[in-house]
Formats: sequence, C-alpha cells, structure tokens
Amino acid sequence: MNLFFFFLRQDVMLKSVTAKEHQYVGLHKLSALARTLHSFIGPQKSYKFIQDDRSGESALTCSCFCTIQNLDPTCALDQLVRETLQEHEKIYHTGSGCLMFLAGAWSNAALHGLRQGISITQIISAMSEGIEICLDAIRKSAVFFNGNDVILSRRSTAAALSSRLSLSKKALSEASNMSSNLKATPAKVYQQVQNGSGHRQIKLSRYFCETKSEMVSQFETYSVAHIAEALSHRCDNVMEMAVEAMQIQSRNNQDNSFVTFDITKVMTCVLFGLPEDCCCVVQGCIVLLADEKVSVFHHLKTKHLKVALVNGDLSHNYRHLGFKRPAGMQHVRDQPGVSGSSREDEWVKKVVKLLLDLGVNLILITGVACKAMVQHCCRHQILVVEKLNFSVLRNFAQSTGSVPVTYASQLGHHCVGTGVQLALWRDLSCYDRKLLLPVSISTGGNTELVTAILTSSVQCKLESLEDRFWACAYRLHHALKDRALLPGAGRTEMFCICHLQKQAKYCREKQSDSVPTAAAGTATALHTSVMLELMAEGLMDYITTVMINSGKLSKVKARTIVSRQLQTFDVHKGNAAKFPQLVLRNEATAVSSVKTTECAQTVEVYDNLCVKQEAWRKALDLVFLVLQTDGEVVSGVDQKMETDAMML
Amino acid sequence: MSRVEKKAPSVCTDLPLNNAEVCAKLHLMKELLKSCYGPRGRLKHVRNNIGGRVTTSSASSVILPALYSSQPLLNLIKSSVLNHISRFSDCGLFAGVFCLSLLEQARRHELRESLAIKVNKHCLSLCTSYLQRDDCACRVKIDFSSSQNLMTLAGSIVSSKPACLLTEAEKLHISTMAVRAFLQTIPCSSPGPVTLGQTVTVTVRGLPVLDSAMFPGLLVEMHDDFNQTDSSSEPLRTVLFSTSLAGDLAELGDGTIEADPDLDTDLQILDQLLELGKQLVEDEVRLCVCQKVIHPVLQQYLRSHGVVVMERLGMALMEPLGMLSGTQPVATLHARIPSTAYGRVKNLSTKQFGNKTMLHLQPDGEAAVCTAVLCHRNETMLDELKVAWRKTEDVLRLTLKEPSALLGGGCTETHLSAYVKHKGQQEASETAAGLRCSPAEFLLGVKVFCRSLDMVARSLEHDGGSSAMDLNHAHHWTVSADAAGEDMAGGLGLCGCGLVENSSTEWTFLNTEYAEFCPAPLLGDSCRKPTVLDSFTAKVNALQVAVETANLALDVRYVIKDEN
Repeated sequence: MNLFFFFLRQDVMLKSVTAKEHQYVGLHKLSALARTLHSFIGPQKSYKFIQDDRSGESALTCSCFCTIQNLDPTCALDQLVRETLQEHEKIYHTGSGCLMFLAGAWSNAALHGLRQGISITQIISAMSEGIEICLDAIRKSAVFFNGNDVILSRRSTAAALSSRLSLSKKALSEASNMSSNLKATPAKVYQQVQNGSGHRQIKLSRYFCETKSEMVSQFETYSVAHIAEALSHRCDNVMEMAVEAMQIQSRNNQDNSFVTFDITKVMTCVLFGLPEDCCCVVQGCIVLLADEKVSVFHHLKTKHLKVALVNGDLSHNYRHLGFKRPAGMQHVRDQPGVSGSSREDEWVKKVVKLLLDLGVNLILITGVACKAMVQHCCRHQILVVEKLNFSVLRNFAQSTGSVPVTYASQLGHHCVGTGVQLALWRDLSCYDRKLLLPVSISTGGNTELVTAILTSSVQCKLESLEDRFWACAYRLHHALKDRALLPGAGRTEMFCICHLQKQAKYCREKQSDSVPTAAAGTATALHTSVMLELMAEGLMDYITTVMINSGKLSKVKARTIVSRQLQTFDVHKGNAAKFPQLVLRNEATAVSSVKTTECAQTVEVYDNLCVKQEAWRKALDLVFLVLQTDGEVVSGVDQKMETDAMML
Repeated sequence: MSRVEKKAPSVCTDLPLNNAEVCAKLHLMKELLKSCYGPRGRLKHVRNNIGGRVTTSSASSVILPALYSSQPLLNLIKSSVLNHISRFSDCGLFAGVFCLSLLEQARRHELRESLAIKVNKHCLSLCTSYLQRDDCACRVKIDFSSSQNLMTLAGSIVSSKPACLLTEAEKLHISTMAVRAFLQTIPCSSPGPVTLGQTVTVTVRGLPVLDSAMFPGLLVEMHDDFNQTDSSSEPLRTVLFSTSLAGDLAELGDGTIEADPDLDTDLQILDQLLELGKQLVEDEVRLCVCQKVIHPVLQQYLRSHGVVVMERLGMALMEPLGMLSGTQPVATLHARIPSTAYGRVKNLSTKQFGNKTMLHLQPDGEAAVCTAVLCHRNETMLDELKVAWRKTEDVLRLTLKEPSALLGGGCTETHLSAYVKHKGQQEASETAAGLRCSPAEFLLGVKVFCRSLDMVARSLEHDGGSSAMDLNHAHHWTVSADAAGEDMAGGLGLCGCGLVENSSTEWTFLNTEYAEFCPAPLLGDSCRKPTVLDSFTAKVNALQVAVETANLALDVRYVIKDEN
C-alpha cells in the first residue's frame, strides 16, 4: 500500500539555527548547495571529481550544470534545482553557474530578512522590486550593436579598419604595442559609446541611424573576433574554433545582410588519442567510418554521389512513432514451412534493390541501421552513415534537393539528391590504432555545415572540452542574436548594486521623513530598503567570489576593492562600462591600478544580455518558490526509510 | 500443492475519532490544508519517492490526489473533497479545513457525536436558507451588463494561487483574459438550445505573463514545418479522424487474427490507407487532421497533393475542432467517408510564440471556440497558472447558473458565524426541544460550528498576524504581527473583502469569546465595491459537503481493517 508522508518544517541538518528558522530548511539547503558550486564561478574553473561510493565510478566535471546532473537528487529541492538548470541549459547552454550562485546568495538574503522579522509577503514584494531594478540596470548597461556593422573577417578588419578603431585581435595587439602614444584604447571606445547619447545606440534600421550618424560612425564596426574575444572567458582556443566555424558558415551564406551564427548547423566530432593542438574546424560534415565502410569509402571517393535521407532507423522492425503492433496476431500455415530466407533478409534485399534501382550510393540516417543492412549495402558499395542530427539531414536535403523520409520503402526518384562528394579529411593512421577514418561529406563547396574536430589525448577531458566548445559557440550565437553585449567582469553587477543601494536609500529616507502615524506604510518602506540592501549584498558576494576564484585575492581584499569602486561611482552620470574590470586576465593584483599601461593589454570581458537576464530571473523565481514552500508531500515512501517525516 | 497460510485476524478500531493516532493524523491533515489556504498560503512540493517530477503548488486539486493515508477516515474526507472539486473546481481547501475543524472542535468541546450531527445539520440549514434570502448581507448579485463583478471574481481566484507569482498588472491581465474568454464562449444569437463554446488553453514556457493572449479559433502546435500552400481565400475542406492512421490495427481490440506468415499485414493496411488518401484527394480535402498518428507514407502522399496534414492532435482538441469546423470525426478507415463528415475551416496561418510554432485555424462563420495562450517564465509557475485559469473558467461559468457571488477575504465566514450564533441564541430553547437536548448542549454545538467557521477565516493569515471581526457588520480583518498591540481602531484599513472601511466600532479577536449580536447589513448607498469575491455556487456546495462529510465521519463507530 502506498503511504504518504508530510514533512512539516523539520530537518535535523541544521541544529544550530533557532527554532523559528527550522521552518526554512529549503532556503538553507539551497544556499548550501550553491556554496558547494562556488568554485565553478568565473573564468578560472577548477575540476571536481564526483565519486559514486557504490559503484566506485567517478566523473570529472567542470561546470555547475554537469555537477548537478551527476548528483542523485535526494529531495524535492534537488529535483527543483535540477529541473530549473536543465530548462535553462536547454535554451542557453551557458549561465547555469550564475543562476545557481544567485539562487544561493538570494536565499541567504531571504533568510536574513526572515531573521529580522520581515514577513514572506513583504520579502517577495521587495525582492520583486529589486529584480526589476536589476533588470532595468542590466538593460541600461547593455552595449548594443547593429548587425549590419559587424565585420566578419578578422584579417580584413585588422588591415583596413584599424584606423576606424575596429577592435580586432590584431588591432588590439597593435594597440598594446603602441599604447603609450595611441590615445584610443579599447576601453575608451566603449566609454565614448556610453557618454555620447546617454544611452546606447539602438539602430533599428538604416533610416533611424541617419539622425545621429556622427555619433554612431565611430563605433559601428565591431568585428566578430572582438566580440568573441570579449566573450571567451578564458576559453580562447575553443572560442577561436567557434569564430572560425561561424566564418566558414557565413562565407557560404549568400544573404550577408545580417551576421548570424546558426548553431544547428554545427557538429562536433570527437577524436581521442590526438594531441589537443590538433583541434580544428572544418567545413562540411565530418564523420568517422570504421571497418568495412572504409573500403566502401575508398571505392566511392572522388565520385559524385546520389544521396538518400532517412529520418529513423534503417532496419526491418523499425516502425514510426506512435505505431502499435497488433497484439492478437497469429500466423497459421497450412503446409510445413520450408522457406529458406527470413523476413529480414527479404526486407534487406528489397531495400537494397530499391536503392540500386535509384542509384543511391550514400544513405544518411538519424537512427541506426541493422547489421544485415549495413553488410548488404557495403557489398553493393552503398555507404550508410548513422546517428546524424535531423538538422544536419535537413541541411543536406536543402543543398542536394533530396527529401527526408521515414521508411526506406518510401524512397522514390524525387527523394534522391545528387552532388555529394566524399573525401578523406586527414590520414590519422599514425595516431590511431583502431582505424577510424575521418571522412568529410560535402555538397560541392556551398554547404553551411561546419564540424568542430575536438581532440585530446586524455579521454576524460574530451567531454569537458566539448562542453566548453558548445558554451563558447552558444555565447557567440546569443550575442549575435541579441545584438548586444553586457560589460562583464563584475561591471554590470556593480552597476546593479549601485542602483539597488540608491533605491534602498530612497526607501529609508521616505521612511524617516514620513509622519509617524502611518505605521504600516513606514514599516514596509523600511523592510523594502533592508531587502534591497541584502540583494545588493548577494551581488557583491558574486563579484568577490569571481575575484577570489580568479586570483590570489583574499575575501577581505576583494571586498575592499569593490566597495572602493562603488563609493567613487556616481549613479546618475555613469554606467556599467565606467567601472574598471575587476577580474583581470593576467594579474588579479592589478585590479586597482586601472591607469597603468597594463590595462591596455587586457581584453574587455563581456557577457550575454539575455542569458544574464534570464539566469537572474530564474534564480529569484527559484528562491521565491522555495521561500513560500513549507512542506513536502511525498507519496509511496517506505515507513522505515524516513525518520523525520510525518505520516498520514 | 497449495500452501496454507495463516490468516491474520481483522483489526477493528472502536470509535476511531477517540483514537489518539487518528486524531493526530486528522490534525496533521488540517494543518496541511490550512497552510495552503488563501492568497498568502504556503506551497508544497509534491513528488513521489522515486525522484519523479516535483510539482510545487498550493491548490487542493494538485495536493489532495497525492495524499494516501492508511486511515480510511482520512481517505473518506479526501475523496469527498476531491469529488466536490471535480464538480465545482473552487473551494476545495475551504471544504477540507471546515470539515476537519468541525471534527476537531467537536472533540475538543467533548460534544456527543449524535448531538453534534444534529446541531451541525441545523446550523447548515440556517446558513443555506440565509444565503438564499434576498436580504443576505454577504451575497452580491452579479450583473451581466457590467463586467466589474466578473472581473473581481476572476481576479480573486487568480490571486488565490501564490505559486503563480503574479504581479498586480499580470493578475489584471490574466483575469481580463479570463472574463473575455468567458464572454466569447457564450453564443450570441443561435436559436434553439444554447450550447456554450469552449476555450482551449495552450501553454508557452519562457515568455513573460503579459504576452499571454486570446485568439478566436484554435491554435494547434505544429510538429513539423508547415508549408503555406496557395493562400486562396476560399475555406478549406477539412476532415477529422479519431482513429489512428498509423497503420496499426486499432479496431482489432482484444481479438486475434490468424494470418498466413507470407502475408504482409503492414503492407495491406498501408494499401488501405493510401486508398483512403486517394478518396480524400478526390473529394478535394485541403486539411487532414488526425487525433493520433498518420503513417509517414500517407503523409507524404497527401502533402504531395497539396493537403495540409496535422497529426497527433490529442483527445482534448477533438471536440473544439469539431465545433469549429463542423466536421464529424471519422472513426474507421474501412468505409467510404460520407460527404456530411467533411467540415470547413476558413483560414490557416502560423503564429510564433517563443520557440513554439502554432497553426491558427479560423472558424468559417460563427463558432464560440477560442484559444488562450498562457505564458509564464518557468514550468512550475506555468502549471499553477493553468490550474488557476481552469478554475477561473469554471467559476465564471457557474455564475450563469446562479448569478451571485459571496464576499471573499473571510468576510462570508465571519458573517455567517455571527449570524448562526445570533440565531442559535435567539431560538435556543425551542430548537433544543426539537433536537431533544438541553439548550446548553445546543448552544455548545452552535459554538463548535461557529468556531469552525471562524477557523477557516483565520486560516487566511500565515505571517503570524491575528484575525479580528468587527461587532457591527461581522466582517473579517487581519491584524499584522507588527501592528498587534497598537490601537486597532487606528490602523486596520479595509476589511478582507474591501467593503467596510475602518468603521469606529468595537472589535473582537476571532479566537475569543464575544457576546452575540445580529450582524447589520451594509447600507445600500455605499459606493464601495467588494475587491474580493468567491463563487456562490461552489461555496454553498462546499459548505454542504464539509458538514455532511463531518457528520458521516462522526457517525463512524468501528473501522474494520482486513490485515491480509
């Protein structure tokens, strides 16, 4: 029988807290969970081992999302965190660390509020006000750029446009060489953007921008390389790969009016056993072929091939989604069976005959092919490539004029495309013992498909390498989609802190000015100001943790630096880009010495606008849900298992 | 050889309500339901023990189905509340808390079960007859010529779900949408019996709430790309299948088929399907919709003939689509489709919501079908928003049956309690004689009933504040924890339902004794409108369900449990 348990605000985990605080176990747990993930914040990440005591297996993780994914959820909160992160990661593929940190920091803020006797309703309304202030400040500090002005090619930028302050990598290095005599360092460029109009340029159309053209003209050229560099967050090598992928993609894109990065047309191919400097980006679709397919490849290379696309498995018993096999089917035979070939063999023969009739040499499928099918195809020099993404299939459909089908039997002349070529990408026989052959499938130079080849000689690093590549690729993708960047390295956060503190001060003043009789109103104002201060404290924590993680700074030192910056900042005049970058690339100790020439060498760090906004919002939503929850309803619990539960 | 197992004897519990364990469980359940009650109620994480999905909610329709108890009494209460919710949607927590309070208070005051049953019945009839009376002071007439009361009613329900985390502007947006949807589903001018239209909800995760919108017609999510065919202005001939066109033998049921092994059944059915496809093309069908899956081969065939194909529509959309297009769902593929089964859709277009692409089907002519697209930032809140939306929809429809609403914010409960206390005191001796008990016993029973009603009103407060009632109109007021101890007449503001303002009368805290009084009706010329309203039909029924369930539980003498 199913039993039901109800945990009513009790847990033995935190014995030291006062009786009243027992109620908010969820918030304590959330903040504790977030604290264990602090080391993943910031550009300098450290690996973590997660060990399974029972199986003895361990996993190496390097991101917040991976860690949570690898942990077994033991309570509703873990589940909730996991679901939130999954949802975020599914769309953005980056920013989980920030989400988790702020969820922890703001649950601390809520706990402090509760400790001071502020009711849950008031906390929620004050913190909602706080997040609105933050999101508004984020929007204000974003640097918008017009898509038409993003320059693609790194080389041309550097050569032709360095005089126009284009911030390509090459230009940057030049700038650093001549930093003493060159006035316009990259940092200044951005400041000019900010100062000029008070707001950033949002050029919606060409007509719009004409009105303030003299302002805009100075900064309208952004090179992708610069944007990428700003977003690389110390993953320079993989970010370079992402940029290269994008450049290859847009070289083949006729429509050049907007620079975009179509992430669905990017594939990764992971090669184990090669040194890491073999990582590269290749146009077209690179797949690994093994065994008997290799000889088929040698037969087919340099030929123009006919291609068929199958969205599903290539096997006898594969049925489309939603098909139910009739249960009550009996086979009755009036004579003893003597048939030699099985049904599968017949099917394989039929399909191969069809393929031969259509002249197909290459089949790309999203699922897997059965062994007999692969063997038959190989015998007839037909190459079967399995486990491709549907988006890749769609791309082939566009570029070859073929139509993806679900069953091989659906194939007809109109479904078959032409003009595909196979080529050996690189001979790896000197490295590889298993003889996996990397083969590129191309459609005559005009494909937008790009494959990133990721190599490493340490196998467990491959996964995190792939993660990093996708994170970089998505950051670039989002930046080009948003057409906006957010000053990073703590600058946006500091700007938000200023705004929160300003509002908190305003609330405090309102409270002290008001007539004493309106007791309820003043209490609310006071509570709001307290909560806003606490939220700002959470952001402060974030900045200092990033600083601590990236250098040899102590917590106290980091805090001093941040608060000094905040004191000298004028909310009314400045904006986020006015802050110096607190987390520097090379030397964390150089933090306060902004004026030194060293500054010119550092790259400005930027973040994604929509990712940060979403992550902050989701973090606070998570805190609100946990804050309002006082119990857990679990069904189907074994009575002996749970000791601290109440049972109905 | 069969083994003989020793059977355990059945366990019989005498007077379950006197059993400490049962009482503790009843109390626990009451605390659980109480903590969820009202716009500031606390949420619960609901999950199973094997790490299933976590739902966070304070709605009785989500929490109650997850409760399993080893005590039949608790299951009895649970199922009667669930039954109420399935019919009226609203006031589930009210029914639960009231019922459990009645049981608890009766035990606390050591009232005999038989007497408690009789007095409860009497008090219930007092309440229901008062609520039906024209001069009832806690009932508000709903005037369909103005949307104000409807908006208030919708707003109260939307705000009673704190897990939605809506701001004031968002609450207003959603309740306006709900009222608009309600009004759109009432057909304007159709002779004969009137059938109400339907609102279909589509949820989109990740967009702000203010992006939620209403559309006439149907929005259906597209699974694959939609290629806009020639956009002629003519209506599209539509066919709707309720049977699977996936090529399986859906009509076979549990029976068996004997077939020759050389026979390829799949191919046979596919031929049949293509035959069907040919007929559709001949009949100039332009839109083919199937509740279940359509075989890819058939899809390919139809698409190549310019037919728009939609599969996996789902059960929920079948009826609205039938209404919209006038099609008769086709349930077999073995007969020719009669021409009367075809319907028409005026226009097809695509709409993009976040990452969802939806096909918009517009009705050809007047059809009271509309689609509400609900958006929220994350799944938990979106789920709760959907619960609130459905509830609002149902409650608004209930107003067609009985165009009234009750004052919300606990005011109805305190008002009824004061009325019952007053009435009981007045008629104590004669009623007591009728019930064959002493007047003192009767008054104790009345007290139990009133205390239980007060308990429901008190459950609205969760932040440590206390509840008070004015001794003039008997409305409900909350005193926040900060303001307690200060002069109450100074800073209480408006009452729970927003109808009475800070009148300079006397107050009493709800858990204290007070002298009975007759609650005065509000003067009609007050320009103030109530800000919180509850569904009349749902609450009256909840009141009855609670009392009857409590009476049933009080009547239980033994619980016999088979231990095998």
